[in-house]
Amino acid sequence: MNFFKRAWLNVWAKKGRSVLLILVSSAILMFVLAGLLIRSAAVKATDQAKANVGATVTLSANRQAAFKKMQNSSRSKSSRPKMTLTPVKLSDATKITKLSNISSYNVTSSTSVNAKSYDTVSTSSGLSGGNSGGPGGMKSSTSTGDTQIDGVTSTSLATDFSSKQSKITKGRGITAADKNTNHVVIEKDLASQNNLTVGDTITVKEATGSKDKVKLKIVGIYKASSTSSSSAGPMSTDPANTMYTSYTLANTFKGTKYAGTADSVTFNVSNPAKVSSVKTAGKKLINTSKYALSTDDSSYQTVKASMSNVESFANKIVWLVAIAGTIILALIVILMIRERRFEIGVLLSLGEARWKIVAQFFAEMLMVIVVAVAIAGVGGKFVGSQLGSQLVSQSTTTTQTTTSSTGQPGGSGAPGGSGMKGGNGGPGNMSQSANSKAAKTELDVSVSAVNLAELGGFGLAITFLSIMIASGGILRLEPKKVLIS
Amino acid sequence: MLKTQGLGYWYQDKDQPLFQDINLEFEVGQSYAILGHSGTGKTTFLSLIAGLDKPKAGDILLDDRSLKKIGLTNYRRHDVSIVFQAYNLFTYMSPLNNLLTAMAITGAEHAGDKDFALKTLNDLGIGADLATRNVQHLSGGQQQRVAIARTMACDAQLVVADEPTGNLDEDNTKGVIEQFQRIAHDRQKCVIIVTHEPDVASQCDHQYRLENKQFTELV
Repeated sequence: MNFFKRAWLNVWAKKGRSVLLILVSSAILMFVLAGLLIRSAAVKATDQAKANVGATVTLSANRQAAFKKMQNSSRSKSSRPKMTLTPVKLSDATKITKLSNISSYNVTSSTSVNAKSYDTVSTSSGLSGGNSGGPGGMKSSTSTGDTQIDGVTSTSLATDFSSKQSKITKGRGITAADKNTNHVVIEKDLASQNNLTVGDTITVKEATGSKDKVKLKIVGIYKASSTSSSSAGPMSTDPANTMYTSYTLANTFKGTKYAGTADSVTFNVSNPAKVSSVKTAGKKLINTSKYALSTDDSSYQTVKASMSNVESFANKIVWLVAIAGTIILALIVILMIRERRFEIGVLLSLGEARWKIVAQFFAEMLMVIVVAVAIAGVGGKFVGSQLGSQLVSQSTTTTQTTTSSTGQPGGSGAPGGSGMKGGNGGPGNMSQSANSKAAKTELDVSVSAVNLAELGGFGLAITFLSIMIASGGILRLEPKKVLIS
Repeated sequence: MLKTQGLGYWYQDKDQPLFQDINLEFEVGQSYAILGHSGTGKTTFLSLIAGLDKPKAGDILLDDRSLKKIGLTNYRRHDVSIVFQAYNLFTYMSPLNNLLTAMAITGAEHAGDKDFALKTLNDLGIGADLATRNVQHLSGGQQQRVAIARTMACDAQLVVADEPTGNLDEDNTKGVIEQFQRIAHDRQKCVIIVTHEPDVASQCDHQYRLENKQFTELV
């Protein structure tokens, strides 16, 4: 181990050169670490995206099949064709909920009623008292109330609430426990216009069937954002006139034949990567001529694409810096060895083995690299954070631009027809929130022991390669030529 | 102890050798001087007996064993110690560490013995205060004495020196030659000095002159 002692004596005696080597090595390793950190942060962010942004599979009536049926019947009949959509049977939906990777589900059933004990909010540009079909739905002759009723399993699972476009400001939202109750959540503007608050009771009149009066108990008040309002479309009522109830109550308003049905059922998939397999498995459980299963993992795909770009760039940084670093260090070591030819000659004249001379240089560089790894560990986090945030913002912008130009998988919207809500609840709107989530994706760049170990490995490999490249001269060196000339 | 048998060396043309068919014998307890003008090949001869190069013809035997069999690296490590005109010390070390390093590499009997190294240096006039300074802070004479101390600290029986007094003044030259004589006579080693200075050569027990590709012993 005498070569190790010689290495230490050399590093200590030539402090200036050692500091210079430490600085060069630190700079190289800092960029290697930045690349490693960005890469691992990108992998982590993709994993988090799986858990956070989620993906959904929606079971709804098969509009395409219904449209085809309507076309066929129009050829044979002279009367005006009518498209009939089959409501989703909850018994069919229950089968899908039992599939693996389904974490939760939300039943939606929409209709409209007429205000009785209160006044609806009217806007100058809005068409109050219009139909409730929305852009994705079809006008229904049976659904002409001035108040939109959105029946859900839980408001927290409704798109407007999960995407934070709407939020509960007072009381609570609708939950699964509100099933078969007359509980309702109303909009803030509607509440203030009629001096209504949580605990109050309002009366509505059914827009279809027996046109009974029904008393509803207000359990919560929500605030709809302007984005939510604008998404309702020109044919809808003012968004403030939308109330949330349990889907069972919405079905009651629609009529007895709608009991145990829904406009659509949205299943949340715990692992977005499994969306396709869930869809395939789900299709086997339903009558595909009546129902359709549409998927929305756009949020996950946007984050994944964005993080893939970052990860790929980080990989390139790591390898480019590692290769460039090896070349730079090899050149420095070659120059260092050239100026130490006499020392090598003396060592050879004393009978020192050539491999031990190479080992001395390796040990010297190892001491330098250990300090450089420590410095890079501190500085690499800063460089990684700066570079990472720049990369994320660039790649997210690129991904969003690409997706918007090619068309985000917006689906066909929620089915319209008999009292069903269109537009607002469809997957097309969900992709909007997906992008906003993806845009908010940040890289958590932090230095872990694994990162430092990985960096140490890279440092060791760079040093080893540099010394191997440079030591070709030592192996060929003849002591006589160095010492006696 | 050391024999050359039909030794010959040339650089490019075999027909123009530096020397050829050299048969010499060197014994322990004796000092030898090799004289010659510049370019006659005396340093090349030294590099051959120091194991720094291979002869082009003939052989060198150490205690009747060919250097080819011993191996030049092994030979340099255990059997020969070299003193250069330019001292060739480890410039980033102190005299003490220079000795300890040489002792460790050659596997000397006293390897790792700091006190032995300090005593050896002290015997050559390098006190404890100088022994721990960087060698570059020492004068030329002091550096050469450190180089000689390095050969004394190692166990090699053969000590070869290439113009060891070339960079020294008269007083230092005298002191260095005295040390070589002591190494030969007191420590019973074989000392071979290559020099172009007749005064230095005259203090050795035997003198050889390399002239016209042949060695001639001066009486």
